[in-house]
Amino acid sequence: MSHFLDRLNFFRKTADTFSGEHGIVTNEDRGWEDAYRARWQHDKVVRSTHGVNCTGSCSWKIYVKNGLVTWETQQTDYPRTRDDLPNHEPRGCQRGASYSWYLYSANRVKYPMVRGRLLKLWRAALAEKKDPVDAWASIVEDSVKATEYKSQRGLGGFVRATWDEVNQLIAAANVYTTKQYGPDRIYGFSPIPAMSMVSYAAGSRYLSLIGGACGSFYDWYCDLPPASPMIWGEQTDVPESADWYNSTFLMMWGSNVPQTRTPDAHFMTEVRYKGAKTVVVCPDYSEASKFADIWLHPKQGTDAAVAMAMGHVILREFHLDGKSEYFTDYVRTKTDFPVLVLLDRRDDGSYVNGRFLRASDLTGGAEQANNPEWKTLAFDENSGKLIVPNGSIGFRWGEKEGMVGKWNLEPKESLSGAETQLRLSVNDIKDEVAPVAFPYFGSTQHPHFACTEHDAVQVRNVPAKKIKLADGSEALVATVYDLTLAQYGLDRGLGGGNVAKTYDDDVPYTPAWQERITGTPREQIITVARQFAENADKTHGKSMIIIGAAMNHWYHMDMNYRGVINMLMMCGCVGQSGGGWSHYVGQEKLRPQTGWTALAFALDWHRPPRHMNSTSFWYIHSSQWRHEKLAMTEVLSPLADPKQWQGTQIDYNVRSVRMGWLPSAPQLDQNPLAVAKAAAAAGEEPAPYVVKSLKSGQLGFAFEDPDNPANFPRNLFVWRSNLLGSSGKGHEYFLKYLLGTTHGVQGKDLGEEGGEKPLEVKWRDAAHGKLDLLVTLDFRMSTTCMYSDIVLPTATWYEKNDLNTSDMHPFIHPLSAAVDPAWESRTDWDIFKGIAKAFSETCPGHLGVEKDIVALPTLHDTPTELAQPLDVKDWKKGECELIPGKTAPSLIVVERDYPNTYRKFTALGPLMSKIGNGGKGINWNTEHEVEALATLNYTVQEEGVSKGLPRIESDIDAAEVILMLAPETNGHVAVKSWAALSKITGRDHTHLAIPKEHEKIRFRDIVAQPRKIISSPTWSGLEDEKVSYNAGYTNVHELIPWRTLTGRQQFYQDHPWMLGFGEAMCAYRPPVDMKTVEPIIGQKPNGNKEIVLNFITPHQKWGIHSTYTDNLLMLTLSRGGPIIWISEIDAKKAGIEDNDWIEAYNLNGAIAARAVVSQRVPEGMSMMYHAQEKIVNTPGSEITGTRGGIHNSVTRAVLKPTHMIGGYAQQSYGFNYYGTVGSNRDEFIIVRKMAKIDWMDDETSSEATTVEAH
Amino acid sequence: MKTLKVLSVLLCYPQVDMQAALDEMAETLDREDLLPERERRALRAFMQRLKRTDLMESQERYVATFDRGRALSLHLFEHVHGQSRDRGQAMVNLLDVYRRHGFELDARELPDYIPLFLEYLAQRPMGEALDMLADAMHVMALLGARLAERGSDYSAIFDALAALVGEPADIEDIRRQAATEGSDQTVVNMDKIWEEEAVTFLANRESCSASRTGLREAQPVQWMPRPGSTPQPARSL
Repeated sequence: MSHFLDRLNFFRKTADTFSGEHGIVTNEDRGWEDAYRARWQHDKVVRSTHGVNCTGSCSWKIYVKNGLVTWETQQTDYPRTRDDLPNHEPRGCQRGASYSWYLYSANRVKYPMVRGRLLKLWRAALAEKKDPVDAWASIVEDSVKATEYKSQRGLGGFVRATWDEVNQLIAAANVYTTKQYGPDRIYGFSPIPAMSMVSYAAGSRYLSLIGGACGSFYDWYCDLPPASPMIWGEQTDVPESADWYNSTFLMMWGSNVPQTRTPDAHFMTEVRYKGAKTVVVCPDYSEASKFADIWLHPKQGTDAAVAMAMGHVILREFHLDGKSEYFTDYVRTKTDFPVLVLLDRRDDGSYVNGRFLRASDLTGGAEQANNPEWKTLAFDENSGKLIVPNGSIGFRWGEKEGMVGKWNLEPKESLSGAETQLRLSVNDIKDEVAPVAFPYFGSTQHPHFACTEHDAVQVRNVPAKKIKLADGSEALVATVYDLTLAQYGLDRGLGGGNVAKTYDDDVPYTPAWQERITGTPREQIITVARQFAENADKTHGKSMIIIGAAMNHWYHMDMNYRGVINMLMMCGCVGQSGGGWSHYVGQEKLRPQTGWTALAFALDWHRPPRHMNSTSFWYIHSSQWRHEKLAMTEVLSPLADPKQWQGTQIDYNVRSVRMGWLPSAPQLDQNPLAVAKAAAAAGEEPAPYVVKSLKSGQLGFAFEDPDNPANFPRNLFVWRSNLLGSSGKGHEYFLKYLLGTTHGVQGKDLGEEGGEKPLEVKWRDAAHGKLDLLVTLDFRMSTTCMYSDIVLPTATWYEKNDLNTSDMHPFIHPLSAAVDPAWESRTDWDIFKGIAKAFSETCPGHLGVEKDIVALPTLHDTPTELAQPLDVKDWKKGECELIPGKTAPSLIVVERDYPNTYRKFTALGPLMSKIGNGGKGINWNTEHEVEALATLNYTVQEEGVSKGLPRIESDIDAAEVILMLAPETNGHVAVKSWAALSKITGRDHTHLAIPKEHEKIRFRDIVAQPRKIISSPTWSGLEDEKVSYNAGYTNVHELIPWRTLTGRQQFYQDHPWMLGFGEAMCAYRPPVDMKTVEPIIGQKPNGNKEIVLNFITPHQKWGIHSTYTDNLLMLTLSRGGPIIWISEIDAKKAGIEDNDWIEAYNLNGAIAARAVVSQRVPEGMSMMYHAQEKIVNTPGSEITGTRGGIHNSVTRAVLKPTHMIGGYAQQSYGFNYYGTVGSNRDEFIIVRKMAKIDWMDDETSSEATTVEAH
Repeated sequence: MKTLKVLSVLLCYPQVDMQAALDEMAETLDREDLLPERERRALRAFMQRLKRTDLMESQERYVATFDRGRALSLHLFEHVHGQSRDRGQAMVNLLDVYRRHGFELDARELPDYIPLFLEYLAQRPMGEALDMLADAMHVMALLGARLAERGSDYSAIFDALAALVGEPADIEDIRRQAATEGSDQTVVNMDKIWEEEAVTFLANRESCSASRTGLREAQPVQWMPRPGSTPQPARSL
């Protein structure tokens, strides 16, 4: 039967199956798919980044849907840099990827919060007094009321408040403090502007307008390596991470690149495939160690000994016996090796190296009319004469006519311009061999570090040349090269002792010598040093050392760093592509710096701003000096006369302030507004009046009497920082003295114990609760917030517009607002704008137009860096006249129009057009840029001081100010700034920027794509199509001097304090004994064995600095609470098993944490990653009876006098450039298993069941 | 359903106007008479406490209870999704539900804030409101149990919600969790809590052909935590 009629001609049936019944066709509603399909739909993608203290500066895509952030992914559109380099992207790491839910997290601060007790007092006082300033006065002047709210700090009890109410309260406190005590009693702390520079500038602009002090951070975090200013006159300048790829010998020394520089680490791993060798120096088996071809693991804290021994090998094989033509030429022209040093005769007939010989020492100042005291000399092989070569710092300032333009590194004699070849050693022309005494510190006893038995004074023979001085006397000189060879203990056939012929000699600084101190086999030292130098010789400097904070956090960090940098300088690596010193700690590189400083410190309205070095500030105001146990005689050179070096750390700091070296906050011991009024009343000019009063003793410096209520810091703003949860070394001292609340300090102060009391400081009974008001801006309830009086909810990194730059890559990057700030939060810019407005409104009746006297220290990169050339003289001791700006701080009157603070905040002031802009010693005109800003941001229309000026209303307006004024983002400015520098160096540098002259980077441009910055003289590297950014590049290739005394990289430091503390040259110095264990060990037994361990606080993998450690994802990956790593050996000794609860304590306080027992950690050492919040999973401490502290609960800051030097070329103050640093790794702790875990849930009263921070 | 509106207000940050309206709220509860006597009595006591106590003290207590940390977060999805990326989509979906029924968010709050959610429900027909509430009851019950465990009288609000729609079937498990999770649960169970679940597509475990019988309408808002994925609160946040 045919199927013809069954067949369809015009249709086919809707199939219900296909593929032989394997498939079916369904017709049901497919609406369910929408949820799935829409899952990856979004309304917009916004570019932002994570503005933490991280050098990543990674580009992220933020996805927004219905006004909510739904997720983020890594952005992959960086511009290509150079054709031979791997891509930068994808950047970003697990930490950034876990961020987005902070936005909506339960930990978010959602409303302005005030402690209930304070708000109640405030409302009552305001109802009674009406005037907010009077109301505030009635609270803080009443000790009962003040104690009532101060003692509650850290104990919860917050309530929500409105912005209007908190702004009024803050304004009242600021006005009251300014009027009653002085504006310099208001302090602001915010770190790392590079991570969100507009947000930083918001607070610092407000403070600078009212005369408050902005505190530094880089030094306080101990990320600032003072060795860098000493050697180069530069805060920190490093190669971008891409330059690792140009290296052929890469050392990671105390830097855990894959863990802490995650987005950049690929350049390191990739270059290994190109044949680069990797060496890691690290005491523990870190993640970086796993990448090493050779892993050296010296005992922690002894890195300088390793570096010295390597230097010994390099000098022997490449400078003394063997020669490298490249090295010889490099050290001759780029370092101070050929520069002459005076040898001073000692009573026993030996000599000691003194200061650099200066032109002023010679008859007629060696014909140098200008600054002969600041010009150094060398012997010239060509002429055979003693000459003043170009480039020393004396040529930088004040030269006239024909002598202008000699500040450069051309190998020329400065007067005639004749070609020179400077003599490295006077050995060939020596008059005699002088026995020179060198200090040796390796024999210092320490309970936990090995020492050797060599004499503390090592006399070694040095070739010397006789010269005739201006006064007719004869003197011996030697070159830095000669002294360095002697210091490193090399026998060069001059006879005498304490020098080594072979590497096996047991003489300081040989590879054999270091074995006893570091535990590193000598063969490894020799191998690495030899290969490091050999590579540098063959490649002309492509040996690189990546270095981390690990080595900088020791008291004698300078020795660790100088030891390493010396190796690089000896081998000609600094300033060469693929070579040099790569210190990536803290995001220090705010690339558009000179555009930013104007905005941030309100230089458009007032100059100078008040800057303060925070380490000294916190050390003094948290009264850590009252517990000081490290005597300065312990660290003095054995060659110094202790009688001439008396005093404690705070004494040195007070002297430093008095002589105009370091700043202070507060400055004078009286209100500077009142002092100006008193001067006016007396009919005198303010500055001479202050000089007279200081000399008569009527007026003093605040640091001379820090416990006097007149000198308390009264108001403190903390923003973008977790000061009390992270960086606060001596945490418990902060709580006890500065905040006046519950604390865990175990030790007694010097008053009770009778220790060495300061000479320059008035001793009083301790003051508690010095701060009247602590205001913190944050988006999460951090430890600092818990201790604050007021917490202001700030916008997160996806809710604001800002700029972000890094030292790791050359791109400038935005933070941009994907969504509006959630809940009641506001951007930092809007918050401080609001406070400025409230402040202006609160002024009438209290503050009008006032004269403020600002004490300004002598500053680096200004003419005052040439203040004190030859000797240290203290006017207070009658050793010299008090001359502001020379022997004491400059005293400058600044007129502050307080009621107009808000108008000034929101407009670009007239000084940019009048005075111009500049930085690092060069200045240029900005009229054109100000005009351009006026058309871009529009001008202020309202009547008043700001009428007609460019507006700075929004955070984007503020960003445009930075971008317009900075040479890095505005090609015209770049050309102008290079031209300005060219005048001083006498060499044309404008070719470095002319190709990009018409490039101008706007905020919208970087939102579209990160942009590469333009080369500028602010930085010493270039960013172009040929070379990766490398520090010192323009010094080496453009012959721009380093900003040091000699104009060269300095192996030698000749300031009298450097000599006094034995650090003219690099040496090995063992860690100092903090003495915080002995008095308390065994005193509070809990039945478990106690062991003593060194306490190390590195950066962690699951948290970035102060942020994230309360993020659940991160906690999950890192055991969920505070942890301390210890070795298996130590764990066994103390009967501790992995994950046990342990307590770590000493006189400073106590921590409760879980033990991580690991093979990674060497015996005798413990590690606690910072910053683990005490508000997360922390039980009570058996020692203190309160909640276990943070990692800084067992630390305390200690100061080093050599970091207080000022008025001396590169050793002059600069904000975050020079100053005391907060080291903390010399600390030891007692560790034991806890007997009882108390979560302290019962301590909370029924009223406030909040979690308390203690 | 004014009762839900009352519960919404009571769960908000205490303010002057709320304190002033306490009597009116009590009356409303009595008038609607939706709650059993026991729950209503507890609420009355709670309101009495709010009325008697100094406002700032009540505010301190509120902040200490709800503004600090995850365990008692008043954002529903904090308990469902925690810090997972799914939370964004869940909020978007919930916002859609509000919009579909004619409500635009007009406060600086997230859509899953419980008082906000309750206010929305109060505007809906009772059957629908109670259905939706029942979906979220698992989280509500957990919060109630935790509050009870801490001796907070805010638990009365959650008890009242439970009385309206009934307790979830596993209420005993929830109570046990609240009672025993203790301080250190996060740390102890860290691995278990964060164990990755097996990947499933579209969450339909049945075979393809089974879908022929017709799926229920798409359910964009997920209330139940994924099995084993409830993010436990870090201690004492």
